[in-house]
Amino acid sequence: MSENTAKRHMGLRASRALSNTLIHVLLVVMSVVWLIPFVCILLQSFRVESTWQVGYVIPQKWGFDNYVNLWNTDFPRWYMNTLITALVTAVLQTVIVLCMSYTLSRFRFKMRQPLMRFMLILGMFPGMLSMIILYRVLKDLGLTQANAVPGLILVYVASSGMGYYVSKGFFDTIPMSLDEAARVDGATRSQVLYKIILPLAKPIVIYTILTAFMGPWGDFVFARYISFGASAGKNVAVGLYDWLSKDQINKSYTLFCAGGVLVALPVTLLFLFLQKYYVEGVTGGAVKG
Amino acid sequence: MAEVKLTNIKKIYDHNVVAVHDFNLTIHDKEFVVFVGPSGCGKSTTLRMIAGLEDISEGTLEIDGEVVNDLQPKDRDIAMVFQNYALYPHMTVFDNIAFSLRLKKTPEDEVYERVTRAAEILGITEYLMRKPRALSGGQRQRVAIGRAIVRDPKVFLMDEPLSNLDAKLRNQMRAEIILLRQKMNTTFVYVTHDQTEAMTLGDRIVIMQNGYIEQVGTPGEVFDRPRNLFVAGFIGSPQMNFFPARLNRAGDRYTVEVNGHTVELEEERAALLRKHGAGSAEVILGVRPEHLTLCDDGEDSLDGEILVNEMMGSELHLHVRSGESKNVILRVPTIDLSPEKRDRLVSGAHIRFTFSSKVTQIFDPKTEKSLLWD
Amino acid sequence: MKQYSDLEFLRLSRGQKFLYRLLRFLIAIPVGIGRFFAKIWQGIIAGAKALGREIKDIAGTFAHGDWKTRTSFLVMGFGNLARGQILRGLLFLLFEIVFIGYMALTGGYWLSMLPSLGLEGPSETYNEILDTYTTAYHDNSFKILLYGVLTIFFIIAFIYTWRQNVKQNRIAERILASGKKLKSGKEDLRSVVDDQFHKTLLALPLTGILIFTVLPIVFMVLVAFTNYDGAHDGYANNLFTWVGLKNFNTMLSWSSGGGSQSYAATFGEILTWTLIWAFFATFTNYFLGMFVAMAINKKGIRLKKLWRTVLVLTIAIPQFISLLYVSKMFAKDGILNGFLLSMGWIQQALPFWEDPTWARITVIVINIWIGIPYLMLITTGILMNIPADLYESSRIDGANAWQQYTKITLPYMLFVTGPYLLTSFTSNMNNFNVIYLLTGGAPTNPAASSAAGSVGYTDLLITWLFKITTGAESQYYLASVVGILVFVVVALISLVVYNLLPSIKNEEDFR
Repeated sequence: MSENTAKRHMGLRASRALSNTLIHVLLVVMSVVWLIPFVCILLQSFRVESTWQVGYVIPQKWGFDNYVNLWNTDFPRWYMNTLITALVTAVLQTVIVLCMSYTLSRFRFKMRQPLMRFMLILGMFPGMLSMIILYRVLKDLGLTQANAVPGLILVYVASSGMGYYVSKGFFDTIPMSLDEAARVDGATRSQVLYKIILPLAKPIVIYTILTAFMGPWGDFVFARYISFGASAGKNVAVGLYDWLSKDQINKSYTLFCAGGVLVALPVTLLFLFLQKYYVEGVTGGAVKG
Repeated sequence: MAEVKLTNIKKIYDHNVVAVHDFNLTIHDKEFVVFVGPSGCGKSTTLRMIAGLEDISEGTLEIDGEVVNDLQPKDRDIAMVFQNYALYPHMTVFDNIAFSLRLKKTPEDEVYERVTRAAEILGITEYLMRKPRALSGGQRQRVAIGRAIVRDPKVFLMDEPLSNLDAKLRNQMRAEIILLRQKMNTTFVYVTHDQTEAMTLGDRIVIMQNGYIEQVGTPGEVFDRPRNLFVAGFIGSPQMNFFPARLNRAGDRYTVEVNGHTVELEEERAALLRKHGAGSAEVILGVRPEHLTLCDDGEDSLDGEILVNEMMGSELHLHVRSGESKNVILRVPTIDLSPEKRDRLVSGAHIRFTFSSKVTQIFDPKTEKSLLWD
Repeated sequence: MKQYSDLEFLRLSRGQKFLYRLLRFLIAIPVGIGRFFAKIWQGIIAGAKALGREIKDIAGTFAHGDWKTRTSFLVMGFGNLARGQILRGLLFLLFEIVFIGYMALTGGYWLSMLPSLGLEGPSETYNEILDTYTTAYHDNSFKILLYGVLTIFFIIAFIYTWRQNVKQNRIAERILASGKKLKSGKEDLRSVVDDQFHKTLLALPLTGILIFTVLPIVFMVLVAFTNYDGAHDGYANNLFTWVGLKNFNTMLSWSSGGGSQSYAATFGEILTWTLIWAFFATFTNYFLGMFVAMAINKKGIRLKKLWRTVLVLTIAIPQFISLLYVSKMFAKDGILNGFLLSMGWIQQALPFWEDPTWARITVIVINIWIGIPYLMLITTGILMNIPADLYESSRIDGANAWQQYTKITLPYMLFVTGPYLLTSFTSNMNNFNVIYLLTGGAPTNPAASSAAGSVGYTDLLITWLFKITTGAESQYYLASVVGILVFVVVALISLVVYNLLPSIKNEEDFR
């Protein structure tokens, strides 16, 4: 009996050790798979013997030529375009999203439910449809092609009120009685917002800023539509995409890699730095739906 | 330091859900009024309407002679203590208490004066620099009260302030609220679902059910002269026992008959019954557990079988099946109970008990109103 | 169908239970849709009744009102001004003046042209002196449609404001009659940051949404009923005009013109692939992401933080870089093929992007690579929220790891993430970036490519839509029809699923 029990105990421990080892192996393999593309892109950005795509990873000759050559292209311009867009968008979009989500979380007014349902339905239309008209309107205002940056900011910011779900979910978790206590204590509605709620909403404010800032770095469709062929108005995504087009890839493949590294570096660092808030945001958002 | 007058106050939510029907009450200056009732009876809604946190659908609310229906909470000069304390988590205790003063642009010297004085009254001076999350439940409760008393408001509102505390702390805080009330000398409106709190704290108690006021009165009044079955059952613990009974009138005199046991009602009650013109009829007889007394075999009395015997220390609670009544409760003081007698009071044992006519309540089974109401 | 009571249901065998549930589900769909339309109908009736009440109220206000009120029916804000509410009165008056001015100057023109979308297109006149043709431009269909819609918005806003103006008079009369004072301009200003604060906060976001989301959508829905395309651009080439339901007929008819595949067939093919893609993209990510999260969370696993950070890196790096780069890695002459060839494991390059089936599988696999980190983050948080005592109690009841997963973890996860899965499915249907940056829709589908745009095997409806608008003929009207159909599909799926989701039906189950 006791021998049997001992065996069972051994079995349990052994199988747990085995499964943990397997999982460790799996995680190592996964990490390699996940990191390979980024390692490749980094290595290739230092390759100087050729500029086209090759079937090997380790450069035969190393150097910073690609990074230096970036200065002779429109890349710095694209970079600045994207950076400015991202910074301005981060500020304005955050303000708008917070206004919207705070209101929908805190106030009970007659049009609240219809408004939320209406926006839900609006969200089911493919956003791409609006591009055609937005392009024409922005063009009339002179905010396309080379002047795409303000145009893009306008497009990003103006419709950002639709993305209120995640932060509304966060506001919903702050007890209503805090607002009520503050109002009884003599605060106006606006004082409740900036004296009580905003200090408590720091994680979600950071999350909103972070996502708003990251958005423009990756946006391709609108940026391409609105800059429409004018190199001076491109953002990094559009510019680098064109470098991989059939007629440019042989000349610019390694340039793409170097540019990609330069784009990814600040965004990734910022992201890793603020990772905690991002995780909080996506988790809360998914649970809230 | 003000009178609060509610006239025909109604609260109607969307889809015509009525939370409060026609609430009429004048809360006098410096009075301590307790709203009590089961959850969903409209007591908190009424309090929140006084605070201005809920709109008043109909009727008028006056504080200190001024109609305040359309005033924002901040303009009503009230203070409120919330059930879950509602302390601002990002502020220290000091800042929490000082919040309302600073909003009114009080000079910092005075803020310091008043906050430290309030903290002293509540014994939280040593926690002033802590954040709420570093405080225990009782300490948080004190801060919440401190935040209210520092204002020196016209009316002091409390929404179930003790229900998040454990039993021991609750008793302690209850006593402190009574002390505080003596110091503050202002108008209090207090909401609770706990009848003990209501009885011990209130100058007057407002008992509510389903949005209606069932009875308003001093603790003694609602205990001794409940207006209907609901009040009789709600006030007092353990609950009042109800027996189906028969009221018999013979000339000017009345008797009640329960399970074959007949008791004659004394003159005070008979007079009230005569005033109502009550004749012989089926009624519901109410007797509080402490008014049922054990008696010896052979006496004219009710008999019953003990189901459960709960030893509470100073008294025994006997749950008894007697005739049609499945759960009659007797409170038997242990002090004058001989050990032998006590040993006989076990489940399954048969006992006999009776009651005095001076303590009975008689209700009409249809309207559930008291027949002794004057 | 027979309805079982709870106790009867419990007596059924497993198969019967399943069949019963399935039947109930299938019946619920048409019932739900029917209920939805019934609701719309009720809404219309309620709306009509409300309108009737409004009109009665307006008439009543006029009949019982004093001269100040009656004048306000014509001169907005007059009542406010006459009763001392200067600020409100001036705002009303200003709005009326602006509105009348706009309508007189341009609004009337746009509105009158809306039914025709322009009468006179560009014309060429021969200039004898210079011996050239000069083009004179006249009406502009695009602007007519755009400003026509805007003008209608404006008129609606005006009617609403006018109604408010009338209502205010009535309220003011009542307040004055009861002997109280009206709000002063100062109080009005104060309420903007207090009891009316929500209106202040919403003003800017909603204006943005109205102009940059609602207006374009209304415009593009209308475009589906015109012949707006590259050749009819409404100004420089030709005007465009209303064509009724013709475009919908084109898109949804099975008859093919000139040997090529019909639009309906192409649409059907792309829709099928879109749904398959959305299904796999959503659920592979979901289950694998959950698996990875559970693996990392498992007791005894070291370096948890490292594994998570490695995965999270992929979220941080802008998608276009990783997608474009990975797309090239899988190319015929890319690193992956190069590696496999040099190792001698394959004799010729694998057709990742050249063969339709290979391409479809590859995008799904790469999407897993993109999606797992994100799902890992989401599910980690939720997994940790599952009360530990559920696992402890199930272990005492004798459940093994797999049973714990299927009986506790999975139901809990599906319950909590139900709404997320739905939005994830619909956003995958519209996942432009992944498809466009990876394949651009390739490889080309020759049979379908005679339809507008060049259609490929990995094209989703959304990338097709993009190609139609950017293609040589710029058939905006077709893109618009596709957009509307996408909306219909998404709305239908959402409606059905949303009404069946347990987390919406019984919110408290797992709390």
